[in-house]
Formats: sequence, C-alpha cells, structure tokens
Amino acid sequence: MGAASLIVLILAAIAFSAGAILIAKVVTKATKNKQKAEPYESGIPTRGPSWVQFNVGYYLFALLFLIFDVELIFLYPWAVAAKKVGLLALVEIIIFFFILFMGFLYAHKKGALKWK
Amino acid sequence: MSIFFLLLQQELLLTAIIFVLLFVKLSTKQWNSQTVLSFVNILLVVNLAAGFFFKEKGTLFGDMFQTNDLLRFEKNILNLGTLLISLQAYNWLLKHKHAIEFYLLMLSTLLGMFFMLSSSNLLMFYVGLELASIPLAALANFDLDKKRSSEAAMKYIMSSAFASGLLLFGISLIYGMVGSVNFTDIAVAASENPLFLFGFILLIAGFGFKISAVPFHLWTADVYEGAPVAVTSYLSVISKGSMLFVMTSVLSTVFANLLFQWYNIVAVLAVLSMIVGNLFAIRQQNIKRFLAFSSISQVGFILIGMSGANIESHSSVVYFVLVYLFSNLAAFAVINVISEASGKENIDDYKGLYKTNPALTWVLAIALFSLAGIPPTAGFFGKFFLLLGGASKGNYLLIIVAALNMVISLYYYLRIIKAMFMDANETPVEKLAISWSPKISMAVCMAGIVVTGIISGAYEYIYSLLK
Repeated sequence: MGAASLIVLILAAIAFSAGAILIAKVVTKATKNKQKAEPYESGIPTRGPSWVQFNVGYYLFALLFLIFDVELIFLYPWAVAAKKVGLLALVEIIIFFFILFMGFLYAHKKGALKWK
Repeated sequence: MSIFFLLLQQELLLTAIIFVLLFVKLSTKQWNSQTVLSFVNILLVVNLAAGFFFKEKGTLFGDMFQTNDLLRFEKNILNLGTLLISLQAYNWLLKHKHAIEFYLLMLSTLLGMFFMLSSSNLLMFYVGLELASIPLAALANFDLDKKRSSEAAMKYIMSSAFASGLLLFGISLIYGMVGSVNFTDIAVAASENPLFLFGFILLIAGFGFKISAVPFHLWTADVYEGAPVAVTSYLSVISKGSMLFVMTSVLSTVFANLLFQWYNIVAVLAVLSMIVGNLFAIRQQNIKRFLAFSSISQVGFILIGMSGANIESHSSVVYFVLVYLFSNLAAFAVINVISEASGKENIDDYKGLYKTNPALTWVLAIALFSLAGIPPTAGFFGKFFLLLGGASKGNYLLIIVAALNMVISLYYYLRIIKAMFMDANETPVEKLAISWSPKISMAVCMAGIVVTGIISGAYEYIYSLLK
C-alpha cells in the first residue's frame, strides 16, 4: 500500500484513457469530408455569424433563481435537524432568510426583474 | 448565547455594518455621496476601535470557529488597513456611481478573511477563503469604463478559481487519509503517507496562489496594473496579509509533524520569490507593476521568517505584515493621489516630483526606504526579525541569499527615489492639492513606519500574545 498504490492508480488512469483513444483510432474507419467539419452534421446549415449577443437579462434571472434554489436545498437538512436543535434553529433560519431577502431586495431595487 | 456574541464580536460588527450600508442603498432617499462616504469612514473607525475592547477566547460551532488574542490582534491589523484604504479611496469614490457597492464588496471580503483566520476546520477555512476571493474579482472590475479593469477581474477570477480547485483537491485527499477536516485531528494524524503528502502539497499550492509566491505569481502583475489603485492596495496588503497569517499558523501548528517536508518547500518558494520578484521589478516601467513585483519579493522574505517554525518566527511574520501594511499603503496613498489627479502611472512621470510636490515625495521616499529595509524605518527591524527567525533553523545559505536579494532590491527602490529627487523632467506632475482624507491616511502610515520601528513594544506585544 501507500506509494505503490498511488503509482498504480496514476498508471492505470493513463493506460485506461490512452487505451480507449487508441482502440477507437484502430477500430473506426476514418473519413474526412466537408460535412464532417460542420457544427451540426446533417443539420441545418448556419447562416451569418454564430457569435450572437443575447440579452443579459437571462443571466440575471438565472442568478436570482439560483439564490432561491440554494435556499430550498438548505431547507431540507435544516428541517431534519430542526426538531432536535429547537428554538435556536428557527432563529438561525430566519436570519438566513433575512440575509437572502436583503439580497433579493437589492436586486429588485436595481431593476433586475424588469425585462427590457 | 452571550458567549456567542462576545466571541463573534468582530464578525458580527462587520455584518451589521454591511447591513446598515445595504439599508442606506435600499432607502428611497437619495443620499449625498459625501455624507455617505463620511458615514462609512466613521463606521470603519468604530469597527477598528471596538476590536480592542473584547478579550474573550474560545471555540464555537462545534470547534469550527476559534478566537484568541493573537487572532483578534490580526483582525485589528486588517481592520486598520481597510480603514486606511477607505480613506485613500475617498476622492475616487466621490465621483464613482457605486460607492456603497464598493464598501459592500470590500467588507464582505474582509468578513471572509476573518472567518478564514478564525477557522479551525478545513471546510470553514475554504468557505472563508471563497467569501474573501469572489467579491475581490468584482472589486478588480470597479473602474467600470476601463477595459483593463475587466481584464484584471477576468484574470483574477480565473486564477483564483484554479487555485481553489487545487486547494479543494488537496483538502479532499487530506480528508480521505485522515477521515476528518478538523485541524486537531489532522495534526494528530499527519504522517508521511504519500497521498497525505500529495494533498498537503496541493494545499500549499493553493496558499501560494493567494500570497503570490513565485511559481504561482503569474496573475499578480496584470491584476495589480489593471485594477483601481484602491483595490490594488487592498489585494497587496489585506488579502495577502490575511493569507500569510493563516498560512503561518496552519503550517506551524497543524502540520508541525511534517516540518521536515514543508521546510524545504517553503525555503524553495522563498528563494524563487525573492529572486524572480527582484529581477522582474528592476525592469518595470509602470509603478503599479513595479509594486506588484516588489510585493512578490517581500513575500519571499516573509516565507523565510515562516520557515523558522517557532514562536519568534511566527511573531516576526505578524510584525512584518504590520510594518508592510504601513509601508505599502503609504506608497499606494501617493500613487493614488497622483493617478487620481493626473492619470500618470509610469515611473518616468515621477521624475522631478520633488520640485513640484515635496511632501508627497518625502512620503513615497520614506515608504520605499521602509520597503527596502533601511535602518531608522520599521522595514529594517521587520526584515531583521524575519531573518533572525529563519536563521534559527541553522540554514545560513538561505540567509545569505536573502541578504544578497536585499541589496538587489535596494537598487530598484533607490532608482525611484533618484528619479523623484534628482532627475529633470520637462512635464512634471503639477502641484497637487491633497484633500484631508489621503492626508490622514499618509500621516497614520508615516507614524506607523516610525513608531513600530523605533519603539520595540510592537514586536514584544505580538510575542507576548503568542506565548
């Protein structure tokens, strides 16, 4: 154990990934043509530049969604432990909500929820 | 419940200030920015003063959080630095649209650093570190109309995310070997098991990114150059200082069993940082890039002190960070005033500064003397104690390399002083009127450089805290 296992692990990882690539190279029959270089093979050909700008609102909404998503995930372990911890748990979760709410209020005040 | 408030006093006060500022921002009344900034600075003074009043020590949250006299003192140092930076940034923020957000982000990072300092658990440490580094990227982008600033933020967030990745991998390996993330458990279980050592080395790499020790320093110069001056000084003093505090105490307490291993790593990092920092600093034209490389070489000296791994060397690191805070912030105060008034940031623009602005020139000269380590200033004693701490291991080759590097560093610090005092310039920086807030900041820094150097009480106080 110890050093030997670490070295074996690293070698095995390299051998596994290199082997997978090598086998794929040997087994498949490689063809090269123009269609292969397209972003979507046998899809609709793209028109115009693909670097389009998108509305920054999307990412603001995603961020705000994330706040409440994380809040909800925190609520599950809290709910399991709440009965054991007692009143203190309730106070702590209210403080937690308050902090999140302030952040939300800030975003609202900044107009993050307006779709322009 | 009351012990909860007493132990978390500094953190709770900061959180309260953040919320007060949020309320100010959310209120319907449109506040005058001068009033708001004065109000924030008063709050920061209160925050600094309140830090000296409590002495309780203990642990909280199931040994996740600890506090003691040394940690309180270190937090007070960080509070002082934040206050000085806030005073220096006053004129810049007066014109800025998002002054309150600047403080919200800056105080959030400070709060993260406090939790990082007080952590006695790797997970708590990591949470504190992330809270300290994510808002910093937003701060680096605070010159909203400058592209360089965005570039700095991008580079900072990329490299700090990479460093966090290394750190997390290291933490997971250590957890895998020990079965616990508690510092006391790790200290007992630390062994020369290769997987544990691998995790430990990754942990040091994560530390190295934050203090910009040499193989991990590549982000430093670009981020320092692009970020606003106030944020640059925050990065180079507060962010780096807090990480140095944590690294010193973690290495000497948690990984004390692995002293032989980490002594070599830290010594190599120190030598590389000093040499590379110095050689690159010689060639810099931009003064912010110059100070970035100078701070890298200073980190090399601090790492030498850290390698001593006893009480003397630990207190020498804390003492040097205090001295470095005063010296570096004095230099940044002058740079901030000049860059704010004229937009000039090149070393060539500082030629002939003495003719037009003698007071600013003297402040910058004393700050650079202190950074170089010339005797009457505090920088000399700081470096002296660092080398003394490093020499306790008996590795005199390391000390000789450090001494040689001090000579090299003298060359480039004196180059700026020569430019300011002796060189002629056709278009020098015109005579500047300095407003009260940078003046106070410079006066405090000057007093700090002189007082912490001449009066030995500062070092002895830190030493007594560690005993």
